[in-house]
Amino acid sequence: MLFDGFDWAYFFAGLPKALGMTLAFTAAAFVCAIVVGVLVAIMRTARVLPMRWFATGYTELFKNLPLITAIYIIYFGLPSLGIKLDVFIAGTVALVFFYGAYLGEIFRGGFLSVDKGQREAALAMGMRPSRVVTKIILPQAVRVALPGAGTMMVDLLKGTSLLVTIGGAELMTHAATVVSITYRPLESYTLIGLVYFALCFPLSRLVSGLEQRIASGVPLSPVRADLLRRARELVAARVAILEPQRVAR
Amino acid sequence: MTADATAISVAQTVARSGELIRVAGLTKSFGDIEVLKHVDLSVAEGEVVSILGRSGGGKSTLLRCLNLLETPSGGTIEVSGRRVFADGIIASQRNVLELRKDLGMVFQSFHLFPHLTAVENVALGLLEVRRKPREEALEIAVELLDKVGLVEKATSLPGALSGGQQQRVAIARALALRPKALLFDEPTSALDPESTIDVLRVMRELSAEGMTMLVVTHELAFAEHVGNRMVLMDGGEIIEDDAPAAVRESSNPRTRSFFQSYSE
Repeated sequence: MLFDGFDWAYFFAGLPKALGMTLAFTAAAFVCAIVVGVLVAIMRTARVLPMRWFATGYTELFKNLPLITAIYIIYFGLPSLGIKLDVFIAGTVALVFFYGAYLGEIFRGGFLSVDKGQREAALAMGMRPSRVVTKIILPQAVRVALPGAGTMMVDLLKGTSLLVTIGGAELMTHAATVVSITYRPLESYTLIGLVYFALCFPLSRLVSGLEQRIASGVPLSPVRADLLRRARELVAARVAILEPQRVAR
Repeated sequence: MTADATAISVAQTVARSGELIRVAGLTKSFGDIEVLKHVDLSVAEGEVVSILGRSGGGKSTLLRCLNLLETPSGGTIEVSGRRVFADGIIASQRNVLELRKDLGMVFQSFHLFPHLTAVENVALGLLEVRRKPREEALEIAVELLDKVGLVEKATSLPGALSGGQQQRVAIARALALRPKALLFDEPTSALDPESTIDVLRVMRELSAEGMTMLVVTHELAFAEHVGNRMVLMDGGEIIEDDAPAAVRESSNPRTRSFFQSYSE
């Protein structure tokens, strides 16, 4: 029978550490990949040609290279050049290069989606160019980029499983270790699959929820919520004064 | 080309009472195409100047050069006594920001900020540019939305408003900065007839209050009845600049051909 005599204790004993490792890889790689992605997106729209070439070259390279190849080159290949990185650094760097390329494309799409009239309207109001970017362009670009970036975050979390090939000590490595001790591949890998699902499914739902909230105009920051509440009060007060006059007319 | 070193000479004060905008010898080329050919224009406080002409005649470019959204190729621009552009040199960034506070702009396709509600669109300039405290900014914004008849839509996103409503919010947004003049770039061209009436009503009220306005438009009735000056542009030049009635009576063949195309 399935799970008959399965060494649950062994499975659970190593789980928290492996889980922590997977989350650490995901968090570190995603944060850095966002930075790389934003830089690449800016460089790809830059006026300086060599900058654009470099960013385009990077994007095409990592978009068309399997992730596992990048992991192998960085972890097994680079030591031949005297560059020896530990597993965590090597794995994170590979994930950052790979997902940075995709996020760069997603952010570029976000920037391009903002109508150039938006910038002009803000400038025409006398806003400083730097404030135009932070108050007008970025919030709109982020809205467009959010679904794609969220999907990439979930994909990255799943992508960390490839680090089993260099002994990343994350969930997939843990499963492989359990198999080597218990000789129960079906149970071990199914369980670890469930753990991945339990992580990724809520994360996907969270991103969708955030997307819907933003689209509906619900304020995300308390400062903006407060501002809108006060605006509503002022409107109500004004309508209350005006309504009797209108009725009288 | 922005340089603080030139700011002193560029921003020199030009004393001329009542004159708000003064453009002399303004030229603008896009590559080989000369869009503005030596344009001279002077606008006094309280004037409502309608700028008419065929598409591609340079009307919008002239308007966009005034607040330096477009960098002219040559000539000079002075706004409220401040020289902001002279012979290829733009004044310091500070002077450009001041210029843009003085000249509010309303665009053909509104360009409201879609991620902000109507009241936030109007309050943004007050908070960011005029640095008003939040409470005061909101009060002014709500008052202005009421002025354009949209106080009930204050917390709606632009996407939930009709074109005419969006344009009225855009006018309120421009008014929020207390500009000395408003520039309208074909404000009703993207609107249905009913919305057009609403927007023109707001503009007529502003003119009655003494607001200085430069209006690029195809609305002949507005130009004749609300505007007190009519400027006709053709091929990058101003071919008429007079009272509306006088322009309508002009014997200039180019002018006559323009109005003829209207009645057809």
